[in-house]
Amino acid sequence: MKIQRTIYHLYFLVWSLLIPGCTDFVETDLPPSQLTGEAVFTDRATATAALANIYAGLRNQTLITGGYRGIGNLLGHYADELDHYGDGIGTIYNFNIHSVLATEPELATLWNNSYNLIYACNSILEGLEDNTALSEMDREQLQGEALFLRGFIHFYLSQLFGDIPYVMATDYRENAQIGKLGSSEIYELLVSDLERAIDLLPELYVTPDRIRVNRYAAMAFLARVALYFGDWDRALSLSNDVLARTDLYTWEEDLDQVFLKGSKGTLWQLKPVASEGNTLEAQTYIFESGPPINQGALTRSFMDGFAPGDQRAVHWTRGITNGTTVWHHPYKYKANAPTGSSVEHSVVLRLGELYLIRAEARMQLGALDGAMADLNKIRGRAGLSDMEGLDRMGVEAALIQERRYELFTEFGHRWFDLKRFQKAGEVLGPLKPNWQEYHLLFPIPQSELLANPNLNPQNDGY
Amino acid sequence: MQLVTQRMRRGILHVLLYAFLMPFCAFYVQAGTVLEPPQATISGTVTDTSGSPLAGVNLVVESKNVGTISGLDGSFSVQASPTDVLVFSMVGFKSLTVPIAGRNVVNVIMEEDVTQLGEVVLNAGYYTVTERERTGNIGKVTASEIEKQPVSNPLSALQGRMAGVDITQSSGLPGAGFNIQIRGRNSIGAGNDPLYIVDGVPFASDPINYSQTSGILGGSISPLNGINPADIEKIEVLKDADATAIYGSRGANGVVLITTKKGRSGKAEFNIHLNTSLGRATRFMDLLNTPQYLEMRREAFANDGIEDYPANAHDVNGTWDQDRYTDWQKELIGGTVHRTMARASVSGGSNGTRYLIGGSYQRENTVFPGESGYQKGSVLLNLDHNSEDGRFKLHFSGNYVVDDNDLPAADLTLTSRSLAPNAPALYGEDGELNWAGNTWNNPLADLESRFSSNSKTLTTNGTASYAVLKGITAKVNLGYTDARMDDSRVLPSTRYNPAYGADSRYSSVYRGTSSRTSWILEPQLQWQGSMGQLQLDVLLGSTFQQQDQHQLGLYAQGFPSNELLGDISAATTLNINLDSGTEYRYQAIFGRINLNHRQKYILNLTARRDGSSRFGPGNQFANFGAVGAAWLLSEENFIKEALPVISYGKLRGSYGTTGNDQIGDYQFWETFSLGGTNYDGVSVLQPTRLFNPDFGWERNDKLEVGLELGFWKDRILLAGNYYRNRSSNQLVGIPMPGTTGFTSLQANLDAIVQNKGVELELTSRLVHTRKVKWQLSMNLSLPENELISFPGLEASTYANRLVVGEPLGIRKLYYSTGVDPTTGVYQFRDYNGDGVISSPNDQQWIADMDPDLYGGLANNINIGPFELDFLFQFTKQRQWNYLYNGGFPGSMMNQPVDVLDRWGEAGENAPLQRYTTGNNADAVSAFFRYSGSNRAVSDGSFVRLKTASVSYRIPAKLTKGMDCRVYLQGQNLWTWTSYRWGDPEFIGVGRLPPLRQITLGTQLTF
Repeated sequence: MKIQRTIYHLYFLVWSLLIPGCTDFVETDLPPSQLTGEAVFTDRATATAALANIYAGLRNQTLITGGYRGIGNLLGHYADELDHYGDGIGTIYNFNIHSVLATEPELATLWNNSYNLIYACNSILEGLEDNTALSEMDREQLQGEALFLRGFIHFYLSQLFGDIPYVMATDYRENAQIGKLGSSEIYELLVSDLERAIDLLPELYVTPDRIRVNRYAAMAFLARVALYFGDWDRALSLSNDVLARTDLYTWEEDLDQVFLKGSKGTLWQLKPVASEGNTLEAQTYIFESGPPINQGALTRSFMDGFAPGDQRAVHWTRGITNGTTVWHHPYKYKANAPTGSSVEHSVVLRLGELYLIRAEARMQLGALDGAMADLNKIRGRAGLSDMEGLDRMGVEAALIQERRYELFTEFGHRWFDLKRFQKAGEVLGPLKPNWQEYHLLFPIPQSELLANPNLNPQNDGY
Repeated sequence: MQLVTQRMRRGILHVLLYAFLMPFCAFYVQAGTVLEPPQATISGTVTDTSGSPLAGVNLVVESKNVGTISGLDGSFSVQASPTDVLVFSMVGFKSLTVPIAGRNVVNVIMEEDVTQLGEVVLNAGYYTVTERERTGNIGKVTASEIEKQPVSNPLSALQGRMAGVDITQSSGLPGAGFNIQIRGRNSIGAGNDPLYIVDGVPFASDPINYSQTSGILGGSISPLNGINPADIEKIEVLKDADATAIYGSRGANGVVLITTKKGRSGKAEFNIHLNTSLGRATRFMDLLNTPQYLEMRREAFANDGIEDYPANAHDVNGTWDQDRYTDWQKELIGGTVHRTMARASVSGGSNGTRYLIGGSYQRENTVFPGESGYQKGSVLLNLDHNSEDGRFKLHFSGNYVVDDNDLPAADLTLTSRSLAPNAPALYGEDGELNWAGNTWNNPLADLESRFSSNSKTLTTNGTASYAVLKGITAKVNLGYTDARMDDSRVLPSTRYNPAYGADSRYSSVYRGTSSRTSWILEPQLQWQGSMGQLQLDVLLGSTFQQQDQHQLGLYAQGFPSNELLGDISAATTLNINLDSGTEYRYQAIFGRINLNHRQKYILNLTARRDGSSRFGPGNQFANFGAVGAAWLLSEENFIKEALPVISYGKLRGSYGTTGNDQIGDYQFWETFSLGGTNYDGVSVLQPTRLFNPDFGWERNDKLEVGLELGFWKDRILLAGNYYRNRSSNQLVGIPMPGTTGFTSLQANLDAIVQNKGVELELTSRLVHTRKVKWQLSMNLSLPENELISFPGLEASTYANRLVVGEPLGIRKLYYSTGVDPTTGVYQFRDYNGDGVISSPNDQQWIADMDPDLYGGLANNINIGPFELDFLFQFTKQRQWNYLYNGGFPGSMMNQPVDVLDRWGEAGENAPLQRYTTGNNADAVSAFFRYSGSNRAVSDGSFVRLKTASVSYRIPAKLTKGMDCRVYLQGQNLWTWTSYRWGDPEFIGVGRLPPLRQITLGTQLTF
């Protein structure tokens, strides 16, 4: 009996002690909402989903999003397009009065979200390298898009912040200590990424609505990049090549058609999240009563600057009055609520800009007549008469005017133009008492300088 | 008949044992046949020396180690053999050992024990230990202290009561959380929360709610709301290595043990407790009135050279009535909170089985205008059973709490402080919200947006133990918890000015559904025995735990009508933003050896080997352990002879290692996860995190020495502890520059954080007569936190945040040298002398935001039927003042009266700079530097009358055996501080301060 008991005791001891010895118990499987990096790139659908993340990020979160924190709205306030009637606090007001500090949280958000999308581009490029699981066609399409998007985001960051790091890998050990590159180095990398994208991307869109980029979208964008960096020849030849594809892209003569999702003048647009949804731009800009304390209104100087008869004042803006005062909002996008099925997508690249790019390249290369012809294309649609016989100065003034009224509140075009043509001080000085020449660049977010001292020095003035 | 019931009982025993102790059930059959002496019912009464009945006396039948508790009238009844011995014990009385000697009625008289320690037993988690013989550091708060405060979160009841435990409230709103730090911050980046154990079952304290819904509570809802303070018998806090090492990887930040109320045998005892409270926010800011405000605004425009007030300056340009004044704090957060609590319980049972069933309900509203409120209901069930021979014991406790919170989606506190004092009336003459010609956003429109949460928390625990042989007990502890939460944030179009024409197409709803279930299984074996004069207590056990968590987050937009916001299927857009599940598994073996030599020399060894699924292959297991020792000086004859005044003396110390695994699940995997949105109908996959598979446990080495002394028969008890905890291998989300793609990386950082400090505790019976008793207790903590080493700090991402040799809680700030009399703009010290004030180079002034000392002073005075209690809580600390996160004076925001001391004209020396509307860029950037400078930090020390209560016990003669107590309590009654900008405890800028409450209540027992 005693022996038997002792055996049971030992049995219990062994039981309670041995079981924890196996390590299997503390191994868990991944939850259903996560996939390993390897698994993502073995399948076309999941690899496409990884790419879709970048498009969705640009649409919803950062840089060119049509939402409140997109540069269309922020730079509209920072330049002379939008005025603030709100309570005088917060990010929009700070942008409006040129009081943007290195601690501005919206800047850090913009910076971090942008580099997060760049990381996503790089993880796709790394995942597709030496990948044999996908077909060559799929792989090249995805690589081309990722390269395009990487260049696209870096371009905007360099325009906003000046010298920036150009991140081309996912290794955090290097990226945490990465340094800034100067303008010419950034340009080289942009050209390299975009030229590779042009090589890899197919001529035709992979989706019906032009919501993912093709070769011509990449060419059009590289044309803009070349223009910004003063590479007129490249800008001219690329814009020529794109404009020559009249089978794909046709000029919409009706101002009301330009921003519809089926517009043939669109090279690339972002599709709203819901199939019946419309653009964030419409939600951000449109207001129904004045003064618009939650939205920006087009400035008086902007409204006053329309050439007489410019139909864009009628079709692309809308006035709201309280009986005594009228406030205008941008009205390029008109559907600010869901419709039966989506009618407007957010147009990122369109023929209008391409004519303006070519006009500017031609002007810079001395081809004033060609430049005027391109400008007249724009003016014609706006109901304005053709120009002729202008001198270089005249063409430049007309070009700036047409860019201002053709591209207003689209992704900060106006602000970048004021910078490029060195007109920021002249135009904004009288409007913004806080104006300083160093405002041409935004400060690098302070959190970023704290985290990576190699990004010092801070931009001048901040 | 008796035989039949015995058989039945035995049958039940068999079944239960079979279930719990399967592996050795065969053996049980053998053990169960051992013959027992015949049993008889022994009854009697326990009284004190004055003849009054003593309730709650613990009675144990020595041979069986089972027992009961005396009832209200002092009576008891127990099964024992005529040769048995009864042991009576109760805190405050000398233990009594009475042989039954064949009697059926045993009446005893217990003598008061003038020494305080008496029989105080502490729960150390896996074992219990007496206050006298403990080697570790364990603090305790009991129901009598918890019940004196009208609180809905158990942590609130601990404030000011324990040395080394620092608790701050994050908001005065119902359902808001508390921050608790036991002996300071150990970890730079991982969690600093203690481990919570409710009735032996780990209780996960990290929020499970959908973060998009609860902005008003800071995005997180404290799961501890799922424990009702009224159901708590006691809370013990384990602090040093000796007490926490047995919790291994989860003990680094201390352990909080919560024990719910248990039943006592005897006839059914009913307990009814009702109270009602009124509350208001403790402190407001002293703000500018309309003339002062308008003067500021006009001066700001004048300073900026603006003569024509712009169209949007409604406050000064004549749009708004310039004679109007509203105290917005009073209007928006000045309401009165009504709180009602009711609790009823019944307990009782026989010698073999005891039960307690209780239910409670409480509701409270908020200080905001309109309907908002919090409700909580709970049910508690506790069952204890022991076999007649006392060898088998079974315990079950079940606790189910439902709480329901309905609040506005935004806290109006910040608005109440910044709204212009001449802003328009909230309501128009027609009784509708006033939009004043669209010149403002009516703050009451914010109340249209609602946050609501509904949580249900079930915590169950079962333990079964069997005395296998004399001295050997096998035990199994089982637990299951299930927490569920539904939360939502409803944003109807009515929150907008109706003039915008926003209709229900603009209405949206965020909704979350989450659940967390866990189970735990802990088989244990304990041996208690002796070898000569050495007593041994050995414990060996293992743990298996699994926790599954699931969250679903939905977003719906565009409704056909605002009436349909409750049904998100009506929305035109419905997004599933989040659908995530996590699984956590944990296992361990642990043990304890306690050696006690003649109650004089005690050695306590504890160890644990832990494995966790939160770490990658190769890093899953680690060992932890501690040594604790105590020497009871007062048991030494030479001390007894030389210093008879010392009635109790103990020197103790401990050293050991614990760990921290609070980093979340799956962090070591390289993954893509669903991003909660789609592009062209494709659900997007985003990279989840930066990938690092190689991180391991954070390690915390704890050292402690303590001296405890009792004087004059323990009339005065003094305890002093010195501790030094060093936390290394820091497990952190290392902040990363955004260029890496993410803002943090999970990794071990080779840095050491030290927390050391001194804790003093004093308990004294100042007066101790039969009629009047006055007990005073005081605790004082002097914590010191220091970053000891950080190799490569200069090159790391922490270079501008931490300084070796300084606490973790520092902030590096600008140093203001005052206002330039010429320009009227703040000047700062140019630390690096480059002629420019810039960040981070000139942010070199170090402000330590951790407390220097904190503590509490509690008094408990009994005079006849009256009982008086008051607790002072005190903290010496620095606190952010109104400048932190404030707007610049001169903008369209109200300001504290402090801003009147501004610079006015050239040549003037003024403490504050010129007003500006925002058009003076120098002044604006100088203001923002100033608001991050040494001047934004003020003395935030305070002494607070945390709790005061008077209760009256109606004499038993009048109540016919009922015990009836009536009381009046106050919470946060008075605060003495030089801090002028709201409540100094306050940690979230713009959050509602804690409430001052007055409570009237009654408690009936019969």
